[in-house]
Amino acid sequence: MSADISPIFGKLDWSVTPYTDLLREVNSSTIVGAGAASVLVLGAIAAVALLTWMRWWGPLYRNWLTSADAKKIGIMYIALALVMMARGIIEGFVIRTHQSTALGTLTQPESGLVSPDHFAQLFSTHGTIMIFFVAMPLLIGLINFVLPQQLGARDMAFPVLNQVSLGLTAAGAGLVMISLLVGKFGTGGWTMYPPYTGIDYSPGEGVDYWLWAILISGVGSTLTGMNFAVTIFKERAPGMHFMRMPLFCWTSLCVAIMLIYAMPALTVSSGMLALDRYAGSHFFTNEAGGNMMNYANIFWMFGHPEVYILILPAFGVFSEISSTFSGKRLYGYTSLVIASMSIAVISFTVWLHHFFTMGQSAGVNIAFGIATMVIGIPTGVKIYDWMATMWRGRIRVTAPIVYLTGFFLLFVIGGLSGIILANPSIDYQVHNSTFLVAHFHNVIIPGVLYGMLAGIHYWFPKAFGFRLDEDWGRRTALLFVGGFVFTFLPLYVLGLMGLPRRSPTFQNPDFMPWMYIASFGAVLMLCALASLAWTFWTSYRNRLALAVPGGDPWNGSSLEWSTPAPVPEWTFPHIPHVAARDDWGECKRSGDPWKAPQDYVDIEMPANTAHGLLIAATASALGFAMVWHIWWLAALSFLAIPALLAWRGMQVIEPRIVPAGEVEEADRRFRTMMADLAPATRADEETERNRGRPDLSEFAG
Amino acid sequence: MTKPNTGEIDPQESARQELRSYGIGFVASLLLTVGAFAAALSDLPTVWKIIAICAAALLQIVTHMRNFLHLSFSVEQSREDLLLVLFSAMLLAIMAGGTWYIMSDLGGRMHGNSHEDRSTSLP
Ligand code: HEM
Ligand SMILES: [Cu+2]
Repeated sequence: MSADISPIFGKLDWSVTPYTDLLREVNSSTIVGAGAASVLVLGAIAAVALLTWMRWWGPLYRNWLTSADAKKIGIMYIALALVMMARGIIEGFVIRTHQSTALGTLTQPESGLVSPDHFAQLFSTHGTIMIFFVAMPLLIGLINFVLPQQLGARDMAFPVLNQVSLGLTAAGAGLVMISLLVGKFGTGGWTMYPPYTGIDYSPGEGVDYWLWAILISGVGSTLTGMNFAVTIFKERAPGMHFMRMPLFCWTSLCVAIMLIYAMPALTVSSGMLALDRYAGSHFFTNEAGGNMMNYANIFWMFGHPEVYILILPAFGVFSEISSTFSGKRLYGYTSLVIASMSIAVISFTVWLHHFFTMGQSAGVNIAFGIATMVIGIPTGVKIYDWMATMWRGRIRVTAPIVYLTGFFLLFVIGGLSGIILANPSIDYQVHNSTFLVAHFHNVIIPGVLYGMLAGIHYWFPKAFGFRLDEDWGRRTALLFVGGFVFTFLPLYVLGLMGLPRRSPTFQNPDFMPWMYIASFGAVLMLCALASLAWTFWTSYRNRLALAVPGGDPWNGSSLEWSTPAPVPEWTFPHIPHVAARDDWGECKRSGDPWKAPQDYVDIEMPANTAHGLLIAATASALGFAMVWHIWWLAALSFLAIPALLAWRGMQVIEPRIVPAGEVEEADRRFRTMMADLAPATRADEETERNRGRPDLSEFAG
Repeated sequence: MTKPNTGEIDPQESARQELRSYGIGFVASLLLTVGAFAAALSDLPTVWKIIAICAAALLQIVTHMRNFLHLSFSVEQSREDLLLVLFSAMLLAIMAGGTWYIMSDLGGRMHGNSHEDRSTSLP
């Protein structure tokens, strides 16, 4: 990379790809780097070739990319997240492999698969991707798909804004992906603390990639939060009082509120760091009045609520599946609502526990330490509620229940190690060690990952019309559980033995046995990833046998199970009138729930638009141009965004009308088919006899 | 159900008035922002600069709430809105107050007791 900046290409030139590194010096590190870039390039070429070969460009554009339907947007979020997850898990595996080859000696301290700088990029991208481009899109996607259906709403309150949010998230993910091929990523971890990430110590493009990915996708997430909140406040079906909402809607509300108040803090801290780097300001520098401690302060004002943003939707999913698959009503609805809300509020008061060791006095630490421990109480309440829900239920051990059981066992361990860390004097001993790494994976993987995968398994038939293969689903879940145990429990031991996190090398041979166990776990995690992919593939091939056109494969009790599978774009032929909590379950109890509505009316749906796509394109261009100092492109795309908004604002946009006749025909077809389906009992749930019409006499939820 | 208070522009007579209110809000916000920058670049004493910037910020918050969020003290305001405003105020107080608490403690320990003027280390 040359120092002078070309007016056209900015700092870009031919020396920025990993291939040039490989040509300069062939070693395992540059081979890994070039290999990863090649996977990206080949993957992109393969995707383009497939789309062209199958003539899917048109349908992709018309049915998906320009759609403003929250359900489709949700599915696209999840697809994005799964792709990013593949990269994240593979990176986790590479980090583990590196560390098991990284035993150095005093004379030759650096060894192992990748170079220290490359290693730092690996954990930084892994953390950034997993938090912002796997966990966040998974939960936002799931909420998008489920929330309107559970509320009895047609769509989100702002469908096009929703599309824009997806576009911004994808733009951020795209920037992180591009950094594999063009240039380097930052090396400051997923938190990118200055002054190390300031312009003096990290002059290259790496930190800028992180900054722009975070700034762009962060705006998307804030907008999503507003969209969810307004939807819940304004779009509930008539009769859907707050205390009648399914628990998943409640946790979505908590998430929405937290997104609105937490994401701006991240935007502010990243914006200030960007000003330091681009405009020469001194918010976080060593000299000229800068105060780098304030970065940690503002970042974690976002960061701690963020971890509850990640976990709460999973809590919602677990509430739904524990009740459905044990055929019982959810135990302690009110206490779960109160617990979720308390978690949401308390989580704004604990952020300092992420920097106990920064030097403030003991009194400050204790205040935040106590607040941290308090948050364990509502979380504990929830665990007991779910166990009580399952107690004496007739539990079917489906894949979501395997995830739930794994969650029970492992999340409690993670939560308890969190309580240990909440004690400042203990934190002084183990902070910044792999004990901490074990702790947060111990809550994030069983919590977020298991919860989201369980939710995907649970609602998949609603989206695509066929169930996922239960055997493969259970195998995947077990592999994720086993993989977790082997990968991360050894890290508790290593942390107590004194291994700092983010270590590219170490000199203590006693670490090695634990390192090997952890690497074996990482192999299991790779197997779990493959098994997940196989589950989707094999279920797709068997989709006829697994089809559940009746739409209610699990004998559920909330509104989304009243519609056919796959759910039509208008969701409900007639907006339901809700009379009880678990309204669909009440309908089942009082006779034939599949009655046709009395009349049909025209349905207004948001018209397709390329607005989100255009905003995403300009935002990507803006981010890329800023990273590489291509000022003309940056200015152009920066101006293009308000221009696009104004242009759309000046148009008269008509909604798309689905005529009553079309709705009626589709709905009648569904009702007649329903009448012909044989009801499937609980014992038949996993067999071909389950066509999505459950045996109502067994309903007890 | 709560009353709609989103201030949707309806094509009838209220539209003009709505637009006016948005326009005033926009211009006022613009002036207050420019004013803050002007104050920062001017050669007033530092204390005055800070006072001017804070005043501009507070006024701008009021403008946003009045002209864009349609909040007022009238009885027609819905209870939900009031709760939301109070909730926001609480969270902002936690964040701002917490920052003050943490950063002043850190600042105090950095500069020790020999340094009387702690305000330089505040955020
Ligand atoms: C599935 C298999 C996974 C493996 C094998 C794995 C492995 C690792 C490893 C080895 C590290 C570096 C530890 C160190 O610094 O010493 C790490 C860091 C991290 N991981 Fe994972 N991880 C996995 C999944 C996840 C998931 C699902 C998430 C979140 C949703 C996640 C979030 C993070 C974060 C935030 C960091 C910290 C990065 C930093 O130091 O800045 N990981 N992971
Ligand atoms: Cu925290």
